[in-house]
Amino acid sequence: MNPMPDARDRVRGTLPMTVHLHLSGMLHAAVVRSPVAHGELRGVDATAAHAVPGVVAVLTAVDLPGPVPHFGDATDDQPVLATDRVRYAGEPVALVVAEDEHAAAAAAAAVELDVDVLPHVTDADEALAPEAPLVHPGGNVLRAWTLRHGDPEAALATADRVYDDVYESPPAAHVPMEPHVAAAEWTDEALTVWTSTQSPHVVRETLAAAFALPVEHVRVCALNVGGAYGAKVVTTIEPLAALAARHVGRPVRLRLDRAEVFHTLVKHAARVRIRTGVRNDGRIVARLIDVVWNAGAYATNSESAAGYGMLRAPGPYDVPNVAVTSTAVFTNTVPAGPFRGAMTSQLCWAYESQMDDIAADLGIDPVRLREINLLRDGSVYPTGEVMHDLHYDELLAVLRRELAAIDVEPVRPGHARGQGLALMIKSTLTPSHSECRLRACADGTYELHTASVEIGQGAHATLRALAAAELGTTPERVVVYQPDTAEAPYDSMTASSRTTFAMGSAVQDAARQVRQALAAGRTPPFEVIGSWTGDGGLDALDEHGQGPASTHWHQGGVAVEVDVDLETGRITVVRAAGACYAGRVVSPVRVAHQNEGGMIFALGPALFEELGLRDGLITNPNLSDYSLPSFRDVPRMRSAAVEAPGADLHGVGEMTVPPTAPAIGNAVRAACGVRLRRLPMHPERVLRAILERAEEVPA
Amino acid sequence: MIVEDIRRPPSLSAAVRLLADLGDDARLVAGGTAVVLMLRQRLLSVSTLVSLDSVADTRYRGIDVLDGHLRIGGGERLADVAAHPAVRGLLPAFAEACGAVGNVRIRNRATIAGNLAEADYASDPPAALVALDAQVDVIGPGGARRIPAAELFVGYYETALQDAEVIAGIEVPRPTRGVGSAYLRFTSRGSEDRPCIGAAAVMAITPGGRIEHLRVVVGAVADVPHLLPDVLADAAGRPAADEVFAEIGAGYARRIDPLDDERGSAWYRRRMIEVHVRRALAEAHRRAVR
Repeated sequence: MNPMPDARDRVRGTLPMTVHLHLSGMLHAAVVRSPVAHGELRGVDATAAHAVPGVVAVLTAVDLPGPVPHFGDATDDQPVLATDRVRYAGEPVALVVAEDEHAAAAAAAAVELDVDVLPHVTDADEALAPEAPLVHPGGNVLRAWTLRHGDPEAALATADRVYDDVYESPPAAHVPMEPHVAAAEWTDEALTVWTSTQSPHVVRETLAAAFALPVEHVRVCALNVGGAYGAKVVTTIEPLAALAARHVGRPVRLRLDRAEVFHTLVKHAARVRIRTGVRNDGRIVARLIDVVWNAGAYATNSESAAGYGMLRAPGPYDVPNVAVTSTAVFTNTVPAGPFRGAMTSQLCWAYESQMDDIAADLGIDPVRLREINLLRDGSVYPTGEVMHDLHYDELLAVLRRELAAIDVEPVRPGHARGQGLALMIKSTLTPSHSECRLRACADGTYELHTASVEIGQGAHATLRALAAAELGTTPERVVVYQPDTAEAPYDSMTASSRTTFAMGSAVQDAARQVRQALAAGRTPPFEVIGSWTGDGGLDALDEHGQGPASTHWHQGGVAVEVDVDLETGRITVVRAAGACYAGRVVSPVRVAHQNEGGMIFALGPALFEELGLRDGLITNPNLSDYSLPSFRDVPRMRSAAVEAPGADLHGVGEMTVPPTAPAIGNAVRAACGVRLRRLPMHPERVLRAILERAEEVPA
Repeated sequence: MIVEDIRRPPSLSAAVRLLADLGDDARLVAGGTAVVLMLRQRLLSVSTLVSLDSVADTRYRGIDVLDGHLRIGGGERLADVAAHPAVRGLLPAFAEACGAVGNVRIRNRATIAGNLAEADYASDPPAALVALDAQVDVIGPGGARRIPAAELFVGYYETALQDAEVIAGIEVPRPTRGVGSAYLRFTSRGSEDRPCIGAAAVMAITPGGRIEHLRVVVGAVADVPHLLPDVLADAAGRPAADEVFAEIGAGYARRIDPLDDERGSAWYRRRMIEVHVRRALAEAHRRAVR
């Protein structure tokens, strides 16, 4: 079978997506958003908006019959429409519903807001200061996690050398090609929502809680999704569409424009202080990491996300003494959420960059220093777990081999070349649960219903292949349906590189049941539910972060060669190799796409992507001022997957994302001797570092 | 306001009449790559678009190599200009600038007349055409006139074009033997980003290897492309050597007060002016002696 069956339609724009949906009698919504980062909402004047032809309703929090619904992940702190307070520039304040999108947008622009501006805070460290403006009455700390293993302070004090550095990552935007879009329809007390989401069941549960409905009265349907990268994991615009539809008693669709997407969810900015104690022979004896995450104005999933960050902070090394603090902080900025390589990229940037500095300081080859310290089967992770199924030695070998296999042009005068690599470790979403419904039909075909979302990664093709292999049939006889919570049982989300393993395991379970039932003489049609559960994780940790943290551990790495223009500071990645541990590969083509796509995705935040902020407002919420990598930025690449006989399936969606920036940073250091500790590695920062270093060298 | 009507006049003079009649309610559109974005971003609000798609005037179409100059129709797509053998051979700086705009999808739609009329400070062709001393042919209610490219750009997104005037085409002097030109675009972020700086150089060399004539223009760093004749004033007669190119680069860097934005601070842009003026001169020189 074609490994990417939807690729042609996806590129041509002919794939059915939520935006193509038209419901009978459907109206269109537009959102009026806060123009300030923090303020007291005094009033909303919709007189002019009501006068726009085609407008059906203008809706604010005070127009609602009851209290405004709130939503969130662990904490329902986000009002669907702001009530008396706005907490970030771009926060929804009012909804306009009209016969068409133009009228809705024109009327939204005509709504006048009366806002008293309050002092705001946009930087997480500043938000922790005692005198900082409070984003919520309870204080600006959303959640603080701590992990302790061994005696890190004592080990640091007795280490031969101590390295103490701060690494920073700014907020960045996911920029899925398909903006968020959701349509909602109410019948009696039941709600149906069609949405571009990665998590149909999360949206369903969130909507049920927000609108005080039994969960079985909420149905969520998804179609093909046009890119997400984490932007569609948590509930975002669905409550707005539902609220508008309930108010007007007709189906309503809300489609964000590009600027609104920039104001909906962002990557967690992070500041990482990393202190590492090392023996002269290169053995790491202690590591203390303090991470502050900018969660934005509402919790979304940042409480658990900061916990996941804590678990991933030490890196793929066998460190006997570890302390981690991981703190999510409210600020007056757009809420932060999952971003491909989530709560890992910011940390990998720190620990893998510092690793090469340590190597240089000790005069040890960077690969050798990693080999001295790598986690291997039987190592104890800082959570107290005994690790198994680890493959970092193979990844290092594969990365060096693959990079060397790519030809490059000779270096030009005035330029410098260098190579660097980086590894990463990432826990997967734990606990998590996946179920599917598999029907054996009378005609010998099979119908598979899952809530796993096809985002272009090939999830449905993978599930189809796994089902077919277990059933002993061909993939052509297995039909995979688009997610619909009325048909598809529970699944946590299509994220965290979990679908191939978690839903794949549920599908294999279902297919086994069907095969056994057929063998026992059961006659189709009949159906079974397959399931998979991963226990443990954040809920199972003690107060020191000790416990079974992850179902299994994702392992990946990237090696690059960069070219630095010494007069401009511009970095060009000339070749790159990405590798992952895949357990057992379902489709070599799709694994290569993920490894390559991950590196391309990560080039932007590594080299130039950054959301600018001035007076609490995003300065570049458009595709002219927010630059993305283009195919002209893509280096010559190779991809590899490490497999192990009899191993679990592993998802591979993020394995090359976190290591890309530190691999580039390490290559820049090798090329011209400068260490960058703040992303992105904009040419201006590189040039300044080159000039500063030159002045330090005596003439 | 929603665009209610799209008119497609058959000739430039008909387009001029329509624009004159409709006034501020209408906007001219050629490739649409700028106007449509502005409409979508609500930076522009008109009820009628006057499209030049159906204009049949020969002077609006085609690229002709004439004795003293090249004539390029205003309706030529940037991709076609960049790929044209005569433009590539005779006016490499112009081919490079047209080939650098946006991305292939933009260049397949955008026209050279539209590019110049938009007067985007961060575009590439304006600097190249000022360096090449191009003339812009314009037709308007008062008849035809010719504007030197150096005088066309008067501010951010502002030109010397008057109401209802339309760019019909451009004329670029045909370089003689011993002339080389180059356009260097520098992006500080993604390769399809708008430029942090663009530098265009046109150099004529004497048989003895000295500079005979020089035009250097820096774009994308300020409101309009910068040509600084006094920095170039004593270049004539000097050897075409790296030290001279570096001096001129430093002179441009000193004299321009550059922008400070996401693509680079003023400090950084100044350094990039110095580097890229020098590099553009070196490249133009390589081509002049080839």
